Amino acid sequence: MIYFDSAATTFQKPRSVAAAMQDAMATMSSPGRGGYPAAMHAADTAFDCRSELADLYHAQSPEQVVFTSSATHGLNIAVKSLVPPGGKAVISGYEHNAVTRPLAALGAKTAIASAPLFESAAVTEAFDHLVTPDTDAVICCHVSNVFGFVQPVEEIAQICQTRNVPLIIDASQSAGLLNLDLTRLGAAFIAMPGHKGLYGPQGTGVLLCGQATPVKTLLEGGTGSLSIQQEMPDFLPDRLEAGTHNMPGIAGLLAGIRYVRQHDPAAICGRERRLAQFAAESLRTMPGIQVYARPDLTAQAGVVSFTAAGHDVEALAAALGERGVAVRAGLHCAPLAHRTAGTLESGTVRLSFSDFNTREEVYQFLIILRELLR
Amino acid sequence: MEHYLIIARSVTYAQRMQRALDRAGIRCQIFRAPRELTETGCAYAVRIQSMDLTAALQALYRESLNPVQIFVSQRGFYREVDL
Repeated sequence: MIYFDSAATTFQKPRSVAAAMQDAMATMSSPGRGGYPAAMHAADTAFDCRSELADLYHAQSPEQVVFTSSATHGLNIAVKSLVPPGGKAVISGYEHNAVTRPLAALGAKTAIASAPLFESAAVTEAFDHLVTPDTDAVICCHVSNVFGFVQPVEEIAQICQTRNVPLIIDASQSAGLLNLDLTRLGAAFIAMPGHKGLYGPQGTGVLLCGQATPVKTLLEGGTGSLSIQQEMPDFLPDRLEAGTHNMPGIAGLLAGIRYVRQHDPAAICGRERRLAQFAAESLRTMPGIQVYARPDLTAQAGVVSFTAAGHDVEALAAALGERGVAVRAGLHCAPLAHRTAGTLESGTVRLSFSDFNTREEVYQFLIILRELLR
Repeated sequence: MEHYLIIARSVTYAQRMQRALDRAGIRCQIFRAPRELTETGCAYAVRIQSMDLTAALQALYRESLNPVQIFVSQRGFYREVDL
């Protein structure tokens, strides 16, 4: 199989990930639940994972690193901590349902900082126009899951800092690829999955919490701390980690993060971008294909969307799937992004790459696609 | 043997303390705090030798790590130490 759906989840993982998970099953119980070796081994692994992430994203303490089951889980905590029912939020035009649905559930008054695809300055300008001191939160994905558009989070963070408005960054598509500095950006939260660019297993995610950010619980339960107290602890990570930890997942995530750091996120991102550029350039030569990419792929990560005139995107993805090419088609759980880019009616076929893809695979895909479009 | 127990608010906090003490060259161990010492229920403690207390507290405060409580063990009994 040629797997080009890494924006959903990276399917090919470093071997060390499965090995770490197997080891966890055999040697770890639950952190914070005992002082015996299996509990402490689990606690050490969880702490190492938090420390790696704190280091990678410039959090001041490993306690600011909260384990979640997905980026969606983390975004729900973040949004519901900052936006009260009926509150005010400003979001980019490229947000995923993981952001828009929690806001809808809260009945929030959501303003959309809409800007044309790949036009970073226009995104900044739109946020600058909409963010006011009474905004409860600004929420912005670092990279669009549909188009790979890298949004200007540094400029948006500056707007938020100036107006004293908390910022939530959805790093679902940039984690493991692009640099983010929690402390320098002054972000309230950064949410990310463990199972995409960090190469952990499905069912893992991370929420990085700013030091002064107030956090509301989504779940209450056992934490292994302050057991007599019936309110959740007021300190992190315990406040947001009720229940038993996913230790095989966390051990796998730690192995994935170590892989990424060993291979250098910037180098991985560069390889993915080169694959995306090769795919985009080649697709442009095919009649009837519209590619959503800047010619030089600036402001774009390793994700490329396209449509083919006269072909339904789902049918095309299904045909590719039958020929051994895994891609994602449709709206990618991000109807807002498609509405902003003008592709809501058609949807797109999305190619998204990982460190395990090769130029040869892209070449094979192009041959298969050319045959399908004949 | 006389030793001190530094009570931490959580296992993660105890681990931060342990790493800070390691960096300062102070040997320590993490384990569950005895139930009799924790009014609020489950907690973790960092155990150090009595001769290391001053250096340990200096190392912890240098990294803004604050113990919940400190106990000294003498002849099998624990007594809280005023911070």
